[in-house]
Amino acid sequence: MILAVVDDSFPAAWIPPYNTLVVAAGVASVGFAAGVVGCFAVLRRRALAGDAAAHATLLGVGLAFLLGGGRRDLPLLLAGALSTAIAALLGLVLIGRWTRTRDDAATAIVLGVSFGAGITLLSGISARGIPGSAGLEQFLLGHTAGLTAADATILGVMSLLAVGIVALFLKESTLVAFDPLFAAASGWPVTLIDYALVVLVAVMVVVGLPAAGAVLVTALVVIPPVTARQWTDSVGVMLPLAGIFGLVAALSGVAVSSAVPRMPTGPLVVIAASILLTISLLIAPRRGGLARWLQARRTVAAWADGRLLEVALRLDSDGPFTREQLLSWAPGVAADSAFKRLVRSAALEPVVTRAGTDAWRLAVWGRELAAERSRRVAAWTEVLEAAREDARGHLTIDVPSPEAILGAARMKAIRESAAAERGAGVARAGQPWQPGQPGGGAGG
Amino acid sequence: MIDADSTHLWMHFWAIATAATVSAGCALVGSFLVVRRLSLLGDAISHAVLPGIVLAVLAGGRPGGAGVFLGAVVAGLVTVWLTNLLGTHAGLAEDAGAGVAFTTLFAIGVVLVSALASRVDIDPGCVLYGILELVPFDTVPILGLEVPRALLAAATVLVVLVIGAVVCWKELVFTAFDPAAARAAGLPVGVITAGLLVATSLATVASFEAVGAILVVAMLAVPAAAAELLVRRFHLMLVVAVGLGVAGSILGYLAAWRFNTNAAGMIAVVLGIEYVVAALVAPGDGIVARVVSRESLRWRVACEDRLASLWRAEEGDAAALAPRTLLDRLAQARLVFWGRIVPGRAGGLTDIGREEARVIVRSHRLWEAWLGRHVALPLDHLHPPAEWIEHHLGAEVRGRIAADLEGHEGDPHGRDIPSEEFPPRSADEPAR
Repeated sequence: MILAVVDDSFPAAWIPPYNTLVVAAGVASVGFAAGVVGCFAVLRRRALAGDAAAHATLLGVGLAFLLGGGRRDLPLLLAGALSTAIAALLGLVLIGRWTRTRDDAATAIVLGVSFGAGITLLSGISARGIPGSAGLEQFLLGHTAGLTAADATILGVMSLLAVGIVALFLKESTLVAFDPLFAAASGWPVTLIDYALVVLVAVMVVVGLPAAGAVLVTALVVIPPVTARQWTDSVGVMLPLAGIFGLVAALSGVAVSSAVPRMPTGPLVVIAASILLTISLLIAPRRGGLARWLQARRTVAAWADGRLLEVALRLDSDGPFTREQLLSWAPGVAADSAFKRLVRSAALEPVVTRAGTDAWRLAVWGRELAAERSRRVAAWTEVLEAAREDARGHLTIDVPSPEAILGAARMKAIRESAAAERGAGVARAGQPWQPGQPGGGAGG
Repeated sequence: MIDADSTHLWMHFWAIATAATVSAGCALVGSFLVVRRLSLLGDAISHAVLPGIVLAVLAGGRPGGAGVFLGAVVAGLVTVWLTNLLGTHAGLAEDAGAGVAFTTLFAIGVVLVSALASRVDIDPGCVLYGILELVPFDTVPILGLEVPRALLAAATVLVVLVIGAVVCWKELVFTAFDPAAARAAGLPVGVITAGLLVATSLATVASFEAVGAILVVAMLAVPAAAAELLVRRFHLMLVVAVGLGVAGSILGYLAAWRFNTNAAGMIAVVLGIEYVVAALVAPGDGIVARVVSRESLRWRVACEDRLASLWRAEEGDAAALAPRTLLDRLAQARLVFWGRIVPGRAGGLTDIGREEARVIVRSHRLWEAWLGRHVALPLDHLHPPAEWIEHHLGAEVRGRIAADLEGHEGDPHGRDIPSEEFPPRSADEPAR
């Protein structure tokens, strides 16, 4: 069998390129498969069950080492890890079935106790100085430097098998992930598919051990799918995308750790994955922070433009108006930039035309726009007064907050004056204020 | 590792005292986390305090000092804030959000420790599983006694936690069991939850040196969950949880000493054993209690079925079927032992046995008759439900069914319903 040679002092550049390449390919496929399998774990909210299984692997590594008579034979150790990982999942199921303990506490119990048992066993082994036990602690935080080409091939093949299984049962897993009740009603064995999925996650956690270590390997299963989710709404796209993110994270983590001495691989893989996630959270289309911010800005600007036009139409009936007049009728933070846009338009497609140094008139096009807006506002006002419920449904879709348009101070003043008026109304009429009664009429 | 032949008993005493103090604080906080279903936040915080501690140490704080506590609390709150942010902005489920946040922060912590190993006095191994055995070597003098720094920190945190729990007891319990009602009653639920998270961070960082980042999870969740199985009142649960935590620490340390291995890991294992025992022996719905009640019911049903079949055999002047299954044979032996059945191969009923059997058959036939009268079931569907319910009908229910069936003699199969009293009435006597 293959004996993994661990020698940190061995310069990385001296390793034959063949071995490096095979290890890289193996780690890449592990990252890819973890991302793909993780998608369903995340969608089915099984992320932390995978974490409990991951923490339990340490115990299996120790047991397999003892049973194997002190051989550090990777397939053997991983088989041990897999058996305790599955035992941990079984423990979760048993706690759920036999006790009152809730899911979250059950996960914490299995995670903490199995990890404690693993630590106890590994410490016991190393305290007794059993030969060959020195490298076992690499399974805590991951260490790919000791992988041989044969080990990496095994990891790669197992990863590809896992991806193959997901691809084979794509339809069933998708159905169970999104609508378990419908799946059960249609006669699919939901529990079986669920268990199979969690076991697959356990397999990926075990295969990912050399790259990411017991403590952090969950991240390899969780973060890439979350990242992929930012970019797409379709499972068919999410799976390969998560795989690619996982692959990139795993490879870059391994590359950096091979360049820095004594740096465990796992944390670097996780940080690489998190960087990808952070970037995605910022720049992903539609869901990303940047896209949302731009969208919010566009909406506010459109509202401010419209409001300014409406005021301009009113002022225009009394002749030219100044900037100050316009803004005093349309207060708010966004109005200033809306005025700038209005002026800029004078050169291209005139909405307003210049009638003096600080005097403006609405152009024909501007008058048409403003009239159309007045018509719409009037129509909405009518709806608001006659059929509040109808209006509310539409207004919540794309309406920016009034504070964004008017500014918080102005909004506060409006609220206070409305409240004062309401109070006065109650005092006058001697009866509670009712909706529909004039009183809060400070709308824009 | 603990020296088995060590003569420094004081060292072991200090280590045990530290573990017990740490464990008590964790059990206290953990109880609130468990009833509020926030155990996983405990998990997340315990991982995530690492970068806070490392950065605080880098900034010049001493391990166990106030700066490190502050760093850890901040890191804990950042985790929760990140989890919430991922939930609201990226639409992540809470478990995935926590999974992302704490693995990332923990990874940053490990990288910092590894990269700055020469400048930071933190052992990467200690980060994961603590070095309880080394705790007694870092001491501060108090009243002429060399007290371990970690014990001092843990005791301070424990006192703070106990005071906090006592002062805010009413609010904490209200929020724990009905957050919605607490909010409606005007309690600042968000502030109380944040306070609980700060308490978790404090308990975690106090445990950090002794048991490491991950085994804290066991200390937080396991004693609390075990106590929850054992008792039903919350204040009792707290006491039991603390007791289990302290007992687990002492036993775990001693076991680690005996087997020469890591103490923190062994403490987690002992806590796990405590949980399993609690799940087994919990009164009412523990596994043993459930199995016992299920098996005793099976026993009773088997014995009663046996009696009833003998009674039917006497009624029809036929020989009763011999017991076939193992359970039937055991039931037969038990009935003979208790004097319900005459010993020997022919084995008829004794007088007491006949009395008991009659009541069972009466229940069975009353139920069949009642079903036959009120539920339109075919004749061959009456037997199975009656076979089940005959073991559960009390005298009062039998009386009410009999009253309901007044004037309808016999069961739907045309057999007599045996009477309630002994000796049986003759058929021409009026029914009661």
